[in-house]
Amino acid sequence: MGGLKRKSSSSAKALAKSKKKKGPHLPNSILKVIANQKRPLNSDEEDDDDVIGSDDEHGGDLYEYEEGVPEEESRKNNRYDRHDNYDYELPEDFEDENVESEDDDDGGNSDNDEAEGDDDDDDDRHTRMLQSLTGMPSAAFEGESKSKPVLFTEAYPEGEFNPTRDVLEGKNVLTEEDFLAPLEGTPGYQKTSKQIARMRKDTKHVVHAPLPKPQRERLERKAVIGLVDEEFSKWVHLVKKNREAPTVYFNQDVDLGYSTVGAIASEFQPRTEFEKKMASVLNDSEVSMEDHIKDHNHIAKMRSLLFRHEFKSKRIKKIKSKTYHRLKNKDLKNSSLGALMDPEMAKEEAMRQEAKRVEERMTLKHRNTGKWAKRMISRGLNVKYDGPKAAIAEQLQMNANLSRKMNSMRDGSSSDESDDEEEFNDGSDEDTPSRLIAKAKEKTLKALEDDEVPNAGLMSLPFMARAMKKKNEEANEEAKRALEEYEEWENSGGENSKKTVNVSGRRVFGATAKVEAPKESRKDSDNFYDDSDSDNDMAGIEDNNIEPVRDNASPARNTITEAEKFDDDVAGNPASKTTFDVAMFASGSWKKMTGSKNTESKKAPKKTRAPIPQAQDKKGPRDEESGDSESEAEQMVDGVLTSASKETFEVPSQAELINRAFAGDDVLDEFEKDKEEVLNQEVPKPEKPVLVPGWGDWTNIQKKRGISKQMVQKHEAEKKEWEQGLKTRKDARLKHVIISEKVDKKAEKLHTTTLPFPFTSKEVFEHSMRMPIGPEFNPSTIVGELNRPEVVKKTGVIIKPVKFEEVNPNDEVDDEHPRNHQKQRPKKKTSRRQGKVKSK
Amino acid sequence: MRIKTISRSVDEFTRERSQDLQRVFHNFDPSLRPMEKAVEYQRALTAAKLEKIFARPFVGAMDGHRDGISCMAKNPNYLKGIFSASMDGDIRLWDIATRRTVCQFPGHLGAVRGLTVSTDGNVLVSCGTDCNVRLWSVPRPSLEDSDLSSEKSTEPSAVYTCKNALLAVDHQFEGDLFATAGAQLDIWNHNRSQPVQSFTSGSHSVISVRFNPGEPDILATSSGDNHISIYDIRMSSAARKILMRTKTNSIAWNPMEPMNFTAANEDGNCYSFDGRKNEEAKCVHKDHVSAVMDIDFSPTGREFVTGSYDRSVRIFPYNGGHSREIYHTKRMQRVFCVKYSSDATYVISGSDDTNLRLWKAKASEQLGVILPREQKKHEYNEAVKNRYKHLPEIKRIVRHRHLPKPIYKAKAESRAMNDAKRRKDDRRKAHSAPGTVVTESHRTRRIIKEVE
Repeated sequence: MGGLKRKSSSSAKALAKSKKKKGPHLPNSILKVIANQKRPLNSDEEDDDDVIGSDDEHGGDLYEYEEGVPEEESRKNNRYDRHDNYDYELPEDFEDENVESEDDDDGGNSDNDEAEGDDDDDDDRHTRMLQSLTGMPSAAFEGESKSKPVLFTEAYPEGEFNPTRDVLEGKNVLTEEDFLAPLEGTPGYQKTSKQIARMRKDTKHVVHAPLPKPQRERLERKAVIGLVDEEFSKWVHLVKKNREAPTVYFNQDVDLGYSTVGAIASEFQPRTEFEKKMASVLNDSEVSMEDHIKDHNHIAKMRSLLFRHEFKSKRIKKIKSKTYHRLKNKDLKNSSLGALMDPEMAKEEAMRQEAKRVEERMTLKHRNTGKWAKRMISRGLNVKYDGPKAAIAEQLQMNANLSRKMNSMRDGSSSDESDDEEEFNDGSDEDTPSRLIAKAKEKTLKALEDDEVPNAGLMSLPFMARAMKKKNEEANEEAKRALEEYEEWENSGGENSKKTVNVSGRRVFGATAKVEAPKESRKDSDNFYDDSDSDNDMAGIEDNNIEPVRDNASPARNTITEAEKFDDDVAGNPASKTTFDVAMFASGSWKKMTGSKNTESKKAPKKTRAPIPQAQDKKGPRDEESGDSESEAEQMVDGVLTSASKETFEVPSQAELINRAFAGDDVLDEFEKDKEEVLNQEVPKPEKPVLVPGWGDWTNIQKKRGISKQMVQKHEAEKKEWEQGLKTRKDARLKHVIISEKVDKKAEKLHTTTLPFPFTSKEVFEHSMRMPIGPEFNPSTIVGELNRPEVVKKTGVIIKPVKFEEVNPNDEVDDEHPRNHQKQRPKKKTSRRQGKVKSK
Repeated sequence: MRIKTISRSVDEFTRERSQDLQRVFHNFDPSLRPMEKAVEYQRALTAAKLEKIFARPFVGAMDGHRDGISCMAKNPNYLKGIFSASMDGDIRLWDIATRRTVCQFPGHLGAVRGLTVSTDGNVLVSCGTDCNVRLWSVPRPSLEDSDLSSEKSTEPSAVYTCKNALLAVDHQFEGDLFATAGAQLDIWNHNRSQPVQSFTSGSHSVISVRFNPGEPDILATSSGDNHISIYDIRMSSAARKILMRTKTNSIAWNPMEPMNFTAANEDGNCYSFDGRKNEEAKCVHKDHVSAVMDIDFSPTGREFVTGSYDRSVRIFPYNGGHSREIYHTKRMQRVFCVKYSSDATYVISGSDDTNLRLWKAKASEQLGVILPREQKKHEYNEAVKNRYKHLPEIKRIVRHRHLPKPIYKAKAESRAMNDAKRRKDDRRKAHSAPGTVVTESHRTRRIIKEVE
């Protein structure tokens, strides 16, 4: 069966065969050993064979063949037994499907015949007879030959490589002495014997019997395994890198040729005359980048201007109003507009205007300083007749127009006003109360006079008109009252008025004391918004008349000094009838103050200044009007009116406060109700079976049976289930908690019940799912990165197997790749890492 | 009228060509789009459905052999060429693009069992049951031989005779050695009529042999006595031997991971092994209901294709327990050989019905030139689908495959059997002392031992 057999000659094969069947085959084994020593490469093949052989024989011992033929076989050397034996033996040779064995058998047939030719005639004849009868090859009857008495015929002559049986059994073994004996006495004998003696002592160079084959094989395999594993292990880094990469790229460096028109165009070389000419023209006319950009910008600007102009003209063209167009045309003709169009002209115009103004201011030509005007005024004609009156007014108007500042395009009244204000404010320090009051009076009168209703626009609508009328009436009332007030003050003297003038800021005047408001507040507001628009002037009075309180809400302007002054005034003048209501805006500061005052008051009880907000709140305007304020020493600190009452304020405890705050609601009860509702919704209570009249019986004659047992039972079961359901809820034992176990079916489809495979923790998984990957939700720079598939390859390009390259394990996963400049996908990375952990 | 203008640089907003897209700016504030998860889920669902709609994997059949296809070989150097051999000794070279025979290689008297091409694509090696190894020179592909009439036939450049029938052959990667498997494993050189080396392993013949593409000197064989062996041809004996319960029909090395190989087993499973640790399989790929006849790795190393005796072709991920795809047609019979095309885009199967079949590796992939926007859209669909693949509805749609009745029934049956077995095992475990009954993992169940 061995490889050697096949390589050796046919006679050797026959020998081997016969050995296998009958006798010892030590010579063969020795041959093999020698062959092994000579050709170590081929030795393993044989080893393999022998392993298989030995596996079959369960020994692997080389000397096993010495054991004789089984007794029973040798004894049963007759016809019938032979048949039995034949039946038994047949499969041993024929069952082997192996192609190899067939091969051997082909040679074996003839060999056997030859080998057995020397056997006794009986047997030979018998075999031949069997062969002729059955038509089977003689090899089939080999089994019989085993049982024969053994006669050894050796193919080789007896020698050192083919020893006799005796030698093998250990009888008559030749020793060195046997060989040396005849040499005794010859010249080199001593030397030889010494050498032999030395050789015997030397245990190092003794060749031991080879190990049993399975063992030897195992050792060899172990050595090879080590080498192969080493080979494989050098790939680990590369494989790891490949596996951990979020994307593997194949054939990115393969050039597939041009893919765009631009790429082709960039490679274009002019060849023909025409092309060359074109190219030269194109190259010559090249402009610098800056110029190009400049040009470009200029064009863009012009374009945008043009566009805007077009847009505007379109819009204007759309206006259908004839009046508008007429006016517009007129305007166009007007030089002023033309002046506006031309900066030079505009400048000139401005100069002219300025000159006029200067002249006007110097000459005061139109301020009724003329002879005629003086005469008219001195004689009072301007009051008596309408004509002069109008003329004088016109003159004044002209003056105003001329002397106003050129740039302010508003009506003259505004600047007049501001001038007036300035004057007034300047004067306010030195104070001319009588004049002030007079002015206020005048204004009020004026307001009273011109309350005409506009007859066009929104205000002309009936309901608006009505409202206006009402408001006007109110305003008139107010104004009348104010007038009365003014007269009174004029009579009473300057002391009072001075005080009222100075007081400003966070005060809301009571109903009786509202008189001051319009005038004062308007002034203030105008002062505050310095040069506010002129409309304010026209509407100002009206507005103030309507809601005199409004402007008082403007940020506090009065200083402490002022307040203190006022304080002193009030304290010092208890006889004054004016009462004040403290406006409680800026609640934050108010509260803060209260707090601080409280502590202060506790610390220093002698200075009882603790505010009583509630008391003051409740008091209302009537109380104040009644003049309690006179008795109680009213004090104003930083705009806060405080009254030093006798009673001290007790601070309620926190719990009390809370109780008071939530006095109305029963929270616990409500919560319980809520919980019950939720429970009912999520675990609905089973309905009690009810007896529906007419159901379940035929007539009313029949005896009523009540609710059927079945229904009751069903109800019981349902009830039990319900109770169970309630018990198993998470919030069953938590009295103050509702844990909803409602499932949102629509959201359900977006959730998984189990953690998907590569993930090991819920958090990581959720994190990976949190960020959307679509182009709507991400900038285009990272969309490609987020959506990149795991394998990027080019269709139609052969992918070569991996090539070994040294990998630095400290390197980043795909550092050297062309497309790696972008960040890695975080999600993929984590999932992969986890997957890897799992696989390990 | 005062207009507030947003300043935008002209360079950024000027299109190069009129076909270019206008730049659009988005506000990516997540609070503006609160429904993004629902939106993407819906898109994933649509993508999954669209994938099903566009799944048309069968490209075409290559008809011409007069007997069942026994083996195939792909030309490692030429994408369009594929060789096939049939049981009647016929060898053909096909042009995949036109799906026609380009050349025939007559000569074998019995069935051709092994076919392989050298890495440079010049030498075709075939072997068969007529004990011959034939070397052929592969005709150069040219443009003009596209017409039907020019079906050439060539003479072998060399014929080497063995004593035994040969069952498989494989060529070394980047070398001039090839290995034949028969009664023994022989290593041949192109230029020598005798094997340069032989390995014998037991009484059973070697069924398949495959060289490692990464490590050219290492090869794996499977033999009739249920062994899988790894050899290093520089050494004199096998490095590793695994004894399994059933025979391994074919082996494929992972081209990107040289230590890993996958074995197609007679029991209908494929077993992925690490060449260094063989006591257990790294992964068991289950799905076939009958013996797996052939296996071939995708050149990307991320998946492999198997052909089975159950008349189906399946594609598995290299680390997944179940196939991602099954291909079958009414007329396809037992599949004896499969190949993954060298650009990982197609799969070719050869079956008993004398036809080669060309399939797309991704059933719904759009072939041909794809514009960048289209490509992006495909990528997004794929990514979204991948992200939501574990959600029940999408999972259902993606996993759903229509199976032929015999396979469906066989699967149901085997499932029932497995369930019963597991139940029994569980009960046995429950009723015996703890620790006495140990359930063996799937990865080791079919492996008897690693021979030391």
